[in-house]
Amino acid sequence: MGVGPSTKETTLHHFRDPLINLIAEDPDIDFLGVVIGGIPDRNVDKKFTGERIGAWLEAMRCDGAIVSEDSWGNSNVDLAAAMEAIGRRDIPQVGMVLIGTQGIVDQNEYMDTMVDTNHSESGTETNIVAENCMTMAEARKCVALLKLKMSRKYGHL
Amino acid sequence: MSEERVMRQLTIRSFHCDKVEWGDSFSFKKDGSNYSMTLKKGIEEDLKKSSELFENLTIKILKPGEHHVKINSVMDIIPISVKALGKIGEGITHTITGVYVMLTGVDTAGRQICAFGNSDGWMDEKVTFNQPGTPSMDDYIILVDVLIKEGYATKRVGPDACHSACEMMCDPIRAFLKKFRDGDENERHVFKDLIHPGKKKVAVVKLVSGQGAMYDTHYMAKEPSGFTDGRSIIDSVGSPIILSPNEYRDGALRCLYG
Repeated sequence: MGVGPSTKETTLHHFRDPLINLIAEDPDIDFLGVVIGGIPDRNVDKKFTGERIGAWLEAMRCDGAIVSEDSWGNSNVDLAAAMEAIGRRDIPQVGMVLIGTQGIVDQNEYMDTMVDTNHSESGTETNIVAENCMTMAEARKCVALLKLKMSRKYGHL
Repeated sequence: MSEERVMRQLTIRSFHCDKVEWGDSFSFKKDGSNYSMTLKKGIEEDLKKSSELFENLTIKILKPGEHHVKINSVMDIIPISVKALGKIGEGITHTITGVYVMLTGVDTAGRQICAFGNSDGWMDEKVTFNQPGTPSMDDYIILVDVLIKEGYATKRVGPDACHSACEMMCDPIRAFLKKFRDGDENERHVFKDLIHPGKKKVAVVKLVSGQGAMYDTHYMAKEPSGFTDGRSIIDSVGSPIILSPNEYRDGALRCLYG
């Protein structure tokens, strides 16, 4: 699970993840698969993981990506590293993470389309299990935004 | 444009359980139109002995809506599933709906087994129900709570032992669940890994915990959403791996602790 209780995606969440079910059933998308990257401790490893994710997506001839993390704070370094590596390869992407009022602590020019999983009034980690986890509403937003970005870049879907 | 291609098919049969009780032995059997489960009395003692790190281990069966109970920090919420045919991502999986396992824990010094922020307190105030990752208000919860020796809340072996004990409780239920035949299920869902030639190729990237000590995620255990034989993302220092959509939704990931 993630770094705090409200963003933690439980084993049950992964088993019935709305985003995966939504994309897998979409006839407009050729769903390549799910890349699972860790959030390691050292900065050098965070950059390594991000860069390898970019290389994988390029090798897969990926036309678009949705990048999510069930975490916040220092873990945003990992998200930023992955989105930079993907963005430098000119692959349209949408990010999804808890933003709320606490924001994203590491950002770059490639993180221009972000979906917020915050559902709390405070906009922060609330220590309430699953309160700030992705739901079908955010999943739909991600897919719609990605389709918009892809159609802008490629001229069609 | 060429036709879609089916790479593999996964059938998930769900068995809806609306009664969980203590009994003389484990069982999971048909009871009217749904299913009922019994947990073996004394299993807590057996599980407590499974690790020398444990000081105590308790299991509570919480009926639907029985949420005003004190809990330690939630490590994970887990569905009980088993492969009936094939491996993770293809073939047939049997899963139980209506009851989920919640794993909580603390050490003898009062350190919750969690990362930044803990969810100990009253369950009805500390869990958002009816989410993709949490039980609904109509579900039973099997609450497994572990008290481990001081200092082991923050060491990898502590939470690993908790998950292992949890697996030992689920395995006898899985043995019953595995044996049901075609048509016994309450619901059936068929998932296909498809190639849509000519459509835009999209990948989902998920970044998951793996910082060491207090954080880990396992993948591709022996059973769906299981623990045994899972690979640790800490051990691969976070290096990305690829799962097919069906592998992912067949319970390829197990979240260790917050």
